[in-house]
Amino acid sequence: MPTPGTSTDAATIAPIPADLAEWLAGRVAAYLDTTADAIDRDLPLAEYGLDSVYALSLCGDIEDTLTLVVEPTLAWDYPTVNAMAAYLRAEIERPAAT
Amino acid sequence: MSTNGMTTHGRKDSANDLEERFGDPYDEANPFGHAAIVAADERAELPDGAEAVLDEVGLNAEFVPERLGGRLTEVDALVRRLRPVFRRDAALGLGYGVTSFMAGLNVWLGGSDVQRKWLADALLGNGKVSVGYHELGRGNDLTGNEFSANRTGDSLILNGRKEVINNAGRAVAAVLFARTDTRGGGRDHSLLLVDLTRLDQERFRRLPRYRTLGLRGCALAGFEFDGCAVPDSALVGEVGAGPDLALRSFQVSRAVMAGAGLGILDAGLFGVLRFALDRRLYGRTVAELPHARSTLAGAYADLLTADAMVTAVTRALHVLPASASACAAAAKYLVPLLLEDAMNALSVILGARFYLREGEYAGFGKHMRDLPPLGIGHAGGVSCQLTILPQLPRLLRGTGDAAPAAVFDTAAPLPELDLAKLRLFAPAGDPLLAVLRDDGTPPAIAAELAALTDAAAAMSPRETGVAAGPAALALTERYALLLAAAAVLGQARHGDAPEGWAELALDRLAERLRPSAALPVFRPDAEEALFGDLVDRAASGVGFCLDRDLVHRSLAP
Repeated sequence: MPTPGTSTDAATIAPIPADLAEWLAGRVAAYLDTTADAIDRDLPLAEYGLDSVYALSLCGDIEDTLTLVVEPTLAWDYPTVNAMAAYLRAEIERPAAT
Repeated sequence: MSTNGMTTHGRKDSANDLEERFGDPYDEANPFGHAAIVAADERAELPDGAEAVLDEVGLNAEFVPERLGGRLTEVDALVRRLRPVFRRDAALGLGYGVTSFMAGLNVWLGGSDVQRKWLADALLGNGKVSVGYHELGRGNDLTGNEFSANRTGDSLILNGRKEVINNAGRAVAAVLFARTDTRGGGRDHSLLLVDLTRLDQERFRRLPRYRTLGLRGCALAGFEFDGCAVPDSALVGEVGAGPDLALRSFQVSRAVMAGAGLGILDAGLFGVLRFALDRRLYGRTVAELPHARSTLAGAYADLLTADAMVTAVTRALHVLPASASACAAAAKYLVPLLLEDAMNALSVILGARFYLREGEYAGFGKHMRDLPPLGIGHAGGVSCQLTILPQLPRLLRGTGDAAPAAVFDTAAPLPELDLAKLRLFAPAGDPLLAVLRDDGTPPAIAAELAALTDAAAAMSPRETGVAAGPAALALTERYALLLAAAAVLGQARHGDAPEGWAELALDRLAERLRPSAALPVFRPDAEEALFGDLVDRAASGVGFCLDRDLVHRSLAP
């Protein structure tokens, strides 16, 4: 299960994208060498052949850009772009636990 | 000339007890000497009585955490305690049971209390435990593994084979990586801890031994299951947790396997030095010939570099667990290469004797044959590079804090090893590389760090997986070399390394990073200082690694 909230070095972080699904689709597309438009946001990412290595890289992108530490299993718990975006939005808006 | 000026200032502890029991390898009558070990190797056996010695000292306890009754606390100490075994005979080290340690890690990390206790007791009773990831048809492609476990009621039904598995012929238990789903993705495999003594013998078979080029005394075999039932309680962790548990456990076992190789070069270097000091050619000893002298000093420098990297990485498992995945893979990739290159260079000094499978120096050839499996085995070099590759842009991005002194200083206390804190990908900003951002980094190394930083930032996302081209993969080698440079600098600042080593080591790493068309920089003073220290250590029974452990081996009379 993902754990929220540990921020990394803020100086290296880009602003949090307003449209998370759009941003995620762009990242997935980059790993698949295609365009964001080509990604069906309700189709499981595994069906695109996004293997576990790219799924890990995606977790890295999320950590860097959203300052959320997520577990590497994120892509399996939330297998589509829309599911992942909804989860991440909830995590970002959740008040910090500490 | 060592920096402390005292070659008798060696380290003595339980590992030294093993050195004493094994005795002088150059004593022809010694049952654990080179002659006996080479003869056993020719028979594809371990030397008679050697395993009994390891049983007596309870080597398996080194693999079991202290809270479960063993002696495992610090990973860098474990590597040092294994060194006398690998220095003597790598087939003994692996054959007796480093694979039991690999199996154990999965259970210490993800197992239930009952499983941990059961496995600890099996190991403390000198039992062998196999680690069953490998299938010949799949290599390091774990997610393609086909050996399966299907749940029916409160049982798991096992089908398929595990191949080239150490101790498969005699292990009492095995940790097996099994397919439990076919949905695709990262949750299709699970780990099982199986009691091999309680299986239906009609449905379980131990496969015959495989013959190998090196590690001939190691009994590599396999398992075959044909609808064989095991209880549900064999599951280690949750269904589908296999890859996650494996990739965390591998961080520790990769670091330890890299460290195991140090003993092999230590022994090979001693053998060649012994030969060079004894043999006379052109009216002088071989050791007085400038090329031979420089080769010996260079091999010694690279051994210490490899040790510095292993030391930093094994300690990082404790101090910087979140960052360990990349540096452990880098050590498992680079250290075997450093060791093999050094052994190759040394073989030139032995000349024709290097090719003989008999005589006083036949042990060197055996050590050389035993070394490649440390690079191939467990996780091959390329699979380690593939662990680093997706992380590379993040590792080079951002500037986190530099690794603290405790990563390098073996006298500093270590926090307890917490396997649960290991992560599958490291946070941004590699703390070991950050060491190179200090003043005092040679300009050639600093320039390579800057070049790698630019190259990593320019990597296409597509280039971070198995589809990556050779140029992208080559970046991971540069990362590993820069980590080694950071380990050398850290050791020079916080450790007790021989005079001349750090400057020579950094030169040699810079040369690997960017081979020069001109002759490499020659540092006669550093080489002479290092060669002097090497001879002092050899003459006074001190090993060639950073910790100056005491050894029992004689130069020629």
